[in-house]
Amino acid sequence: MEIIMTIINGLSIGGTYAMIALGYTMVYGIAKMLNFAHGDIIMVGGYTIVLFFPISPIVGIIASVIFCVTVGIVVERCAYKPLRGASPLAVLITAIGVSKLLQSTAQSLPFIGSKPKGITYNFGNLQIGSVSISVLTLITILCSIAVMVGLTLFVKYTKTGRAMIAVSEDRGAAQLMGINVNFIIMITFIIGSALAAVAGVFLVFKIQDVGTTFGAMPGIKAFAAAVIGGIGSIPGAMAGGLVLGFIEAICGMVPALSPYTDAIEFAILILVLLVKPTGFLGKKRREKV
Amino acid sequence: MKKTIVKILCLVFAVVMVLGCFTACGGDKNYAENNTKIKIGVSGPLTGGAAMYGIAVKNSAQLAIDEINAAGGIDGVMLELVAVDDQHDPTKVSTTYATLYEGGCQLFLGTVTTAPGLQFKQYALDDEIFYLTPSASGDKIPSADGGFQMCFTDSNQGTASAKYFNENYAGKKVGIFYKADDDYSVGIKNNFVAGLNESFGTVVEASFTGEASQFDSQITLLKDCDVIFMPIYYTPASQFMKQGASKVKASAVYFGCDGFDGIDAVEGFNINSITQEVSYLSHFDSTSKTGPAADYIKAYKAKYPDAPLNQFGAAAYDCVYAMVDALKNSGEEITATMSPQEFSEILKEEFAGDFVFHGVTGECTNGQKSTITWNEDGTVNKKAVKYVVKQKGANG
Repeated sequence: MEIIMTIINGLSIGGTYAMIALGYTMVYGIAKMLNFAHGDIIMVGGYTIVLFFPISPIVGIIASVIFCVTVGIVVERCAYKPLRGASPLAVLITAIGVSKLLQSTAQSLPFIGSKPKGITYNFGNLQIGSVSISVLTLITILCSIAVMVGLTLFVKYTKTGRAMIAVSEDRGAAQLMGINVNFIIMITFIIGSALAAVAGVFLVFKIQDVGTTFGAMPGIKAFAAAVIGGIGSIPGAMAGGLVLGFIEAICGMVPALSPYTDAIEFAILILVLLVKPTGFLGKKRREKV
Repeated sequence: MKKTIVKILCLVFAVVMVLGCFTACGGDKNYAENNTKIKIGVSGPLTGGAAMYGIAVKNSAQLAIDEINAAGGIDGVMLELVAVDDQHDPTKVSTTYATLYEGGCQLFLGTVTTAPGLQFKQYALDDEIFYLTPSASGDKIPSADGGFQMCFTDSNQGTASAKYFNENYAGKKVGIFYKADDDYSVGIKNNFVAGLNESFGTVVEASFTGEASQFDSQITLLKDCDVIFMPIYYTPASQFMKQGASKVKASAVYFGCDGFDGIDAVEGFNINSITQEVSYLSHFDSTSKTGPAADYIKAYKAKYPDAPLNQFGAAAYDCVYAMVDALKNSGEEITATMSPQEFSEILKEEFAGDFVFHGVTGECTNGQKSTITWNEDGTVNKKAVKYVVKQKGANG
């Protein structure tokens, strides 16, 4: 009974992390940059759903995806594109700057403000035998599986998807083959932001509250998940997300470990980096230093 | 030519920086020497998850100062409030403290919350200034060297809660939901556990760290408890209640401390939408209809109709009056340009001495103001801790 609950909790927490981690890993794989503003796109998505929720939850979800994608494109065009070819450190600092900019902008908008906003919405429970599962948890798990499968198929079997792989393997050569690299990077940001929006929506429905730093912690955890799984690898991001989800669920059930959940998660990140720096499923790549 | 200008500029900046160092190293500088009013400083969360407290403290302190100024100040010397935002983040305090101290503040309300307050205390002790915090309730906040509290300390809150549990919930299944990386929460929790009697058997403990979280595991652990003790602030508490609405026992009681104050006003949380009871322990009754507490509420609502109203604000209101009363009581001559250290000397002697203050927090009987005194170690004595039930039973 408790074991089943722990597994379900792990899948549900891990599913959201995996969805966010996919955004990190794809952007890293293709644009070769760590988009630290990714967590704040989640916050943007979260606020959009809260603001549009009174109209209708469905409208909220759609608005959230559209708005996040728009913000993603604007950020990519204005902040990252001019730095294409700049040193990775400059891009990294810019990403952190964008993250702070999004947080502060949100805080200064009158309809968002400094106080956290919330919604009250109950999805109800589903009784299976002696286990009662929240419908939201089920939707989260199913949706994250659907996203993972869909994304894998997209990358493998569509022209754009394969262009993405090409860009990630060798940007110069891909460009010579007639692939519009800027377009592919933008597509990557669109997919990443859409996933962040969906993750934001799930998080808001779960936590039922959103503040301006709402995306920071899930963002960092998902980044850790992406690194554990092997940054740049799509199945790796999923695996990493689930690993962290399960650690969190298990630690939460053991009162003695519970206070150290975050520490344990990041300790595992360090351990993975020490033992297998490329992550579980990451490809070995010769780096010119 | 251009190079020469650059060189000269560099030289000028270098000299300025060296001079700047000398003044910074000086230490004994009186930043208040040009003040025209006595500046009262406070550092609190004006934005972020605990903003409701900081805003209430800022507004209430302003209310008290306006009233005092309207009544002629301290022998004609006016007061002025300086409030800075620390977002309930200890790492911001080095900046907020410097803003207050170097900005010429002379009287200090310290911080609104405990974690930043511990940081504030270090700086305050170094500079030998006095502070009277309205609501930083940590056990380590008060100090015989000039740190005083208007609120009860955490150990007092935890022990008092345990006493209440022993008397009212004996034999029930008790759960605790606390924030493991918050001194306030852990402090109360430890004293609470120590104070429970044998009738309770094993207490289920669940905790979390950081900000907004998915509480699946914690809810799974606590869902069968009769009473859940929550020594945490209202934001995570309301999140837990919303997430657990249909999972936690419908007849359960959520029992909090002063951090619960304002939980019925959290945006996006309809407290009537949950079936569980929500109660908390307090030293101020924000629903008072008569007496000094009600007078304060009326004045506050008239001035800030849309702002949060809670015991933190009431305590800040009392803090300002307490310091002003103490200064008047001392019989010393007060000027607007006195250094914070000079004020500190006077206040320390008063508060550690026989000073008695009558305020709106604590038990106000028969329409009289409460009686408040302080121990030498900085902790407060007020008549009786009150148990205010915020919301009882279910409303579907």
